[in-house]
Order: sequence, then C-alpha cells, then structure tokens
Amino acid sequence: MIADILVAGLVFGSLYGLVAMGFNVLHRPTNVVNFAQGELIMIGAMLMAATPIGGLPWGIAVVCVMAVVAVVTLAEERVAVTPVLRRSSHAAGWVITTLAFSLLIAEAAGRLWTDQPSTVAPPWPLSIDVNEVAGVRFSSYQVAVVAVAVAVVLLLGLLDRSRLGTALRAVAADRDGARLRGIDPTALTRRSFLLGGALAGLTGVLAAPLLLASVTMGLGLLIKGFAALAVGGIGDNRGVLVAGWVLGTVEAAGAAYASPGSQSVVLFAAMLLILLIRPNGLRGLAVQRHV
Amino acid sequence: MSEVLRTRSDGVRRAVPWLVVLAAAAVLPLVSGDPTITYLATTAAIYVVVGTGLNIMFGYTGQVSLGQGALVAVGAYATGILMADHGWTFWAAAPVAVVVTAGAGTLMALPAFRLSSWYIALVTLGAAMAARSLLVEFEGLTGGWSGLIGIPRPAIGSRELGERDLLWLVLVVNVVLFVMVRNIVDSRLGRAMMAVRDAPEMARSVGVGPARMKLFAFACGGATAGMGGALLAVHHGLVTPDDFTLDFSILFLLVVIIGGAARLAGPIIGTLLFFALPELLTGLAEWRGLIYGAALLVLMVYAPQGIAGAWDKLRARFWRGRVPAPAAAPDPADDTAEVGPPRGEPLGVELSGVRKSFGGVHALRGIDLAIEPGKVHAIVGPNGSGKTTLLNVISRLLRQDEGRVLLGAEDVSRATAERLARRGVARVFQTPRLLGASSLRDNVLLGAYARERAGGPATVLRLPWARRERADLVVEADRLLAGHGLARRADEDAAALPHGEQRLLEVARALMARPRLLLMDEPAAGLTPRELEALGRLIRAIRDAGTTVVLVEHHIELVANVADVVTVLDRGELVTSGAPEEALGDARVVELYLGAPA
Repeated sequence: MIADILVAGLVFGSLYGLVAMGFNVLHRPTNVVNFAQGELIMIGAMLMAATPIGGLPWGIAVVCVMAVVAVVTLAEERVAVTPVLRRSSHAAGWVITTLAFSLLIAEAAGRLWTDQPSTVAPPWPLSIDVNEVAGVRFSSYQVAVVAVAVAVVLLLGLLDRSRLGTALRAVAADRDGARLRGIDPTALTRRSFLLGGALAGLTGVLAAPLLLASVTMGLGLLIKGFAALAVGGIGDNRGVLVAGWVLGTVEAAGAAYASPGSQSVVLFAAMLLILLIRPNGLRGLAVQRHV
Repeated sequence: MSEVLRTRSDGVRRAVPWLVVLAAAAVLPLVSGDPTITYLATTAAIYVVVGTGLNIMFGYTGQVSLGQGALVAVGAYATGILMADHGWTFWAAAPVAVVVTAGAGTLMALPAFRLSSWYIALVTLGAAMAARSLLVEFEGLTGGWSGLIGIPRPAIGSRELGERDLLWLVLVVNVVLFVMVRNIVDSRLGRAMMAVRDAPEMARSVGVGPARMKLFAFACGGATAGMGGALLAVHHGLVTPDDFTLDFSILFLLVVIIGGAARLAGPIIGTLLFFALPELLTGLAEWRGLIYGAALLVLMVYAPQGIAGAWDKLRARFWRGRVPAPAAAPDPADDTAEVGPPRGEPLGVELSGVRKSFGGVHALRGIDLAIEPGKVHAIVGPNGSGKTTLLNVISRLLRQDEGRVLLGAEDVSRATAERLARRGVARVFQTPRLLGASSLRDNVLLGAYARERAGGPATVLRLPWARRERADLVVEADRLLAGHGLARRADEDAAALPHGEQRLLEVARALMARPRLLLMDEPAAGLTPRELEALGRLIRAIRDAGTTVVLVEHHIELVANVADVVTVLDRGELVTSGAPEEALGDARVVELYLGAPA
C-alpha cells in the first residue's frame, strides 16, 4: 500500500514538477506565470492521441509535438504577453490575458477534437504493464517518466549556467539595465517562450499514457503544477520537482486513505498548509523588494 | 455651503441615468408579456450583484479572483440546504448564506497574508476546483451530482413571490448594494483599497495594511456573492454542481472588465452586454467560449478601463472641446495656509548597529545614529551610500538584518510600516506614488487614513459622525491643496499632473497625516529654483510646527539652508554627523564629493 502510494506520488509528482518547470522557464525573463500552461500541455497530449503525428515513429512524433506547441506558445507571447507588459496599466493584466489565451485554446481544442478521453500507448520498449520487484509494483514507463523529469532539471541547470542563463538572470533582475549591456530582452523572452512551449509539449507527450489524453486535462495539470511551483519556490527547478513529488505523494495518500474524489481537496489543503508555514516555498529564499 | 450644494446637485444629475436603467428594468415585466424576458432580467440582475462584489476585489483592490463562481455556489447551497431541507424562510436563510460566504471569501484570501498578489488568482482557482469536488463528496448534504431540488420561492406571509416580484426584489438588493459600494469606494477604505492596488508600499506608509485590506475586500466580495447565490437558488428553484463551473467564475471577471473595472457602472454595463445580449441573440450563445477569450484578450490590451473607462475618456475629450481650458499657470502658493498641528510631540529616532545587505551588497554596515526630535536632520552622501535604505529601515518598509531602531522611547525593530504610520510617521517617496486615477483631493485625503476613525460599518452606512469627520477632513485637504497652489485642480486626476506638482501632492498627502516625524526622500529632485525656495520654506515651517524632518537629499544648497543636523554616509558607513557647516566642511566629506586633493 505505502509502496504504491510512493510510486504514484513519484510518477505524478514528476509530471507536476515538469509543469512547474515550464512555468519557471517562462517566468524568468517576464515575471509572468503562464495561466495557459495547462492547455499547452493538453495540446501536446492531444496531438499524440488524436492526430496523425501520433502515428509517426515516437522520436519524430515527440519532436513534431514539441515544435507545434512551441509555436503556439510563441503566438501566446506575441498576442497575450508582450502587449500587456508593454502597456502595463494594470499590474494583473497578464493574469487575465494568459487566462484568456487558455480559454481560446480550450475552445479551439473542444471544436477540433472529441471530448472522449483516449489512451495513448507508451513508446517501445517501454510499457505500462506492472512489474513487481521486492514488493514494489511499477511499470517501465513510470520509471522513464521520473528519469526524464530528473534529466530536464539537470538540463535546465546546465542552461542556467550558460551565457544564455546569465543573460536571462540579468533581464529578470533589471530589464532596462540588461538592455544597456547589449542584451535584447524581447529576443530572450521569445526564446524562453519557445523553450517553455517545447517543454509543455514534452510534458503533454509524457502525460498522455498515464492520464488518458483529453481536451479537459489542462486545468487540473495547471493547478497541480502551480501547487508544485508555489511549494517548491518560483525559479527553483530542483525545488519544484521535489515539491511535485511531495504533493504527488500527498495526493496519492489522500486518494488511498480518504476517497479518490477528495484528492484535489487534499492536495490543495496540503499546499495551503505548507505555504502558511513556509511562504517562500520549501527551500525558498526570502526576496525583499526595494523602494 | 455652496461646495456642499454643488456636490448635491451634481449627485442628483449623476443619479439620473441609474434611475432610468432601474426604472426600465422594473417595468420590464409589466410591458413584456414574455415570462422568459422576466426570467432573464432576474438572472442578469443577480449577475450584477455578484459582479459588483467582484468589482471591489478586482477593480478597486486589484485582486484577481477566479473563485467567484465557487463563492456563489456556497451561497446558493447554504440557502438551498436551509430552505429545502430545514424549512427556513428565505429571509432567515439569505443572511446566513451571506455570512457563511463572506467567511468563505475571507478564508480564500488568507494566503494573501503571506503571498504576493498574483498567487491569489491561482489559489482562488484551486479553491474553486476543490469546492466543486467537495460539493460532490458531501453527497448527504448537497445531493451530490444531482444537486438540491425543490427550493421554494421567498414568501411574504403566506403569499409566495411570483416571477415579477422576484425581479423587483433583486432590483431592490441591487440598489441597496450600489449605495453601499459607493459609500465604501468614496471613503478612506476605498482609497486604501486603491492604494493597495496601485502602490502597496505607499499604502503601508500611510498606515494601510495590504493583507488586511485584501481580506476586507474578499469579505465584501464574498458577502455579495453569497447574496447572489441565495437569490440564484430561489430564482432557479434548484442548484447543481454543474451550475458553478470555471466558466461561471470567468463570466464575472469578464463582466467587470468589459464594463470597466473600478467603475461603479462597470458590472451593470458588462452584464447587459455580455450576458443579456448573447442570451437574446441565441446564435451567439454557441460561440460564447470563444467570445469570452477573445474579448478578455482584446480588452485587457487595448481598453483595460473597459467601456465605462472609454466612455469617460470620450466625454472628457468632448468637454475639453467646449469648456475653455483652465489657465495654464498654477495658482500662486498660499504660504499663509496653516498646516494643522502634529498629532503629538515630535518623534526622535535612534539607530544602533543597523546592518542591511541585499545579497552581496552591503547597503548599511553598522549605523549608529540619533535623530533628535524637532530638528531637520539631513542625510547626504554619494549615490549608493545607503541613504534610501536607511530611510526605508527607519520607516520599516525594510527590516534591518541586525541592530535596533527606536522611535521615541519605543523599540520598533520588528514593527511594520503601517504601525509606524499610526504612530505619526509619514513619508514622501523619491518617485511620486499616487492614486493616478483618483482626484488630487482623494490623494491628499488618503494621507489622513491613519487618523480617520470610520471603519467598515460606519462607512457603509454613512453614519452621521463619519460624515462629519469626512467633511472636516475634506476642508483640511482643500486647505492643504490651496497651500500648495493646487486648489483649482483638486478634482482632476493625479495622473494628469506634471511631475513637479505630483511631488507637491505627495508632500500634501504626507502633511495630511499631521506627522510627528516626516521622512522625505530627495524632495528637491527636478524642482525649479523658485519651487526649491518654496520647499525650503515649507520644510522649515513643518519643523517649526513641531515635526521632526528627516531629509535625504542631493541638493547641498537646500541642505545647508534648512538642516539643523547633517549626517554624511558613504558606502553604508557613517562618515560624520553634526551642524551643517561643520559636517559639510569636513575634509573627508569634501574629498567624497570632489575627490582627493591633488
């Protein structure tokens, strides 16, 4: 029982962590938390489930999905993020516009695809058939998902230490100051959105075999990814993955001990509790603003 | 007084369009024989109730709530359970629903105490999702997926209200609510909300606790959502979880934004346009989702003030065309205008061993400094010497890493900025932080927040004593505006003011607090020589009235003119402190500004 909960927690937690890493990538240069992230992931999953892309060899399919979602995300940056940041008349403007973009995606997806959830098979040689090793039951695909999440954290860490990462940090700290140093914040923002979109596509592809692909899967992933983001600490990729695991485990425990219907309530309550105790996240550093 | 009379007649003139809309809605069921129209009008009027509540949260306080639909659900279910299962009357059930939902709203905003504001949007979204699964989970109470049925209509005596009566009831609720919200918005609480929205740090410096203000806004929004839910329950006669989807929450956000956030008329215009119109043109209903998304996107980018805002802009342009523009030259400042006496004895400050670092930058490295009460104490030093950080530590907008801060005899090392404001500390910021969309008079009145006493109930009901208090403060604010040569523009928006006068407005706001200690951050930057001279006179007058002034300034001439004591900082350390000639003549200080002698 406990082993089952831990396995489910690790696997779904890895997904939530991946969603949160997507938030992080877009947040860096813009300070925007993308409310359309859940729907972007949904597109990724649905492209695998409901379009000819799913029929391609898996490796090619993944690249195609990531490219398509990246382009959609870039479109979001053009119509819903940069214009409001430029005319920042309302501090919360981007909350509304990214939410609006997510409504548009959801509506378009609802018209394109049926609302019937569909199964997606994992790529060969992985499978979702359950093996049992020393009393712990898991599938090879579940192991792969956790491994990919860890790999993405490591890759993003490498990126962070590169020239690009340094430039991104500079833009995050002071947009105009960075411009004076010859960094183009707009170009960096665009690149971050492409990367964040690709990551969302990958997350969708990974989630499809586990969750059933459906046009309504976005909202749940958005909220759970946000929970991981808030608990892990914004901008902290390792933190959000660990937070994802913690919350995934709490959720699985809630489903097992309380009732399956209450898992979102349990997850939400756990998030609020952690945040009331540690408002800047599990490992978060307090940031004080200047006047 | 003619002033009062003018506002009265203004009020009547402004009320006319409202009365017309109200009358039109009220006679609708008498004119139209179609019951669907009455039904629809009732629904729309209920949405206006909920939208008005969200306008307080989103429009005035700037908090995006995506959980409004869930709050309506709480109100609807509370009413449904009490009426259908326990046989309560509507008149008993509705108030309970309002209180319960206000509580739920406050609960939803609790994380606001610790988190930055955009979290609220996602927390409320999560709360909405959790609430929906709770509705299904507690099947025994809520009827699960099938919901509650058989909720009776409100009754007066033994007579049950009909379709038309219900519409009239909802309209009455709307009128009462409208007046209450107008009272809140046009009060210290309303100004505090807008301060939290536009400039949280300034809000704290005048004594507004942002978290408490957000809680208050959520309690108000929750209460109205609860009322809306109660009305919706008796209107439909049944409630199911499917009535309260995420789309339902977004509808209200849209209604507020499209109508005009932070405008009283916003929710009314928004509801008419966004709910009633597609409902009447059935072809549009199918496209509602797309319309929601596209409208939100376009509006937020191109017309963030919504239709009401666009209309105001248009009208302003139209009026400017007809009325001759006011004389460009500002009124001469009336130096004789008296500033009210401070609220008490001047306050001194004592810092000991104060350190503050930002990451690797050591802004203050162990400052020991005594600021004597009743003096003008200037703090000078090159850029990056830690002057503003010092001011922020004194005003508590920043907390020192180490060391103690005494205000008078009180240890405030761990106190908040809002508590200091209540003790009589006021602040002038380096870059003006104003309520751009509010009048100059309202900006000055905000300064009195900490000494004005009217709380929630007194404000909402406009009790006579609160009204008198307000009238006295308005007189005082107008006198201050006149003293700064701004009297003629008292009703204009602060955002329209040129930079130099925005600074004067900041000073007026600070003086409105009748401070015992005034902290000024580079008030002279960008002033003309004439304005500079006036500022010097003003600072001395403030001191002579019995207020301690701490002045961070680059303008050495001004400092030499007005300061009683000058402290020189360099790279976070205190270089010297003493009388102006002495301190500014110090060899180290000369070197700091002019470089080492050859």
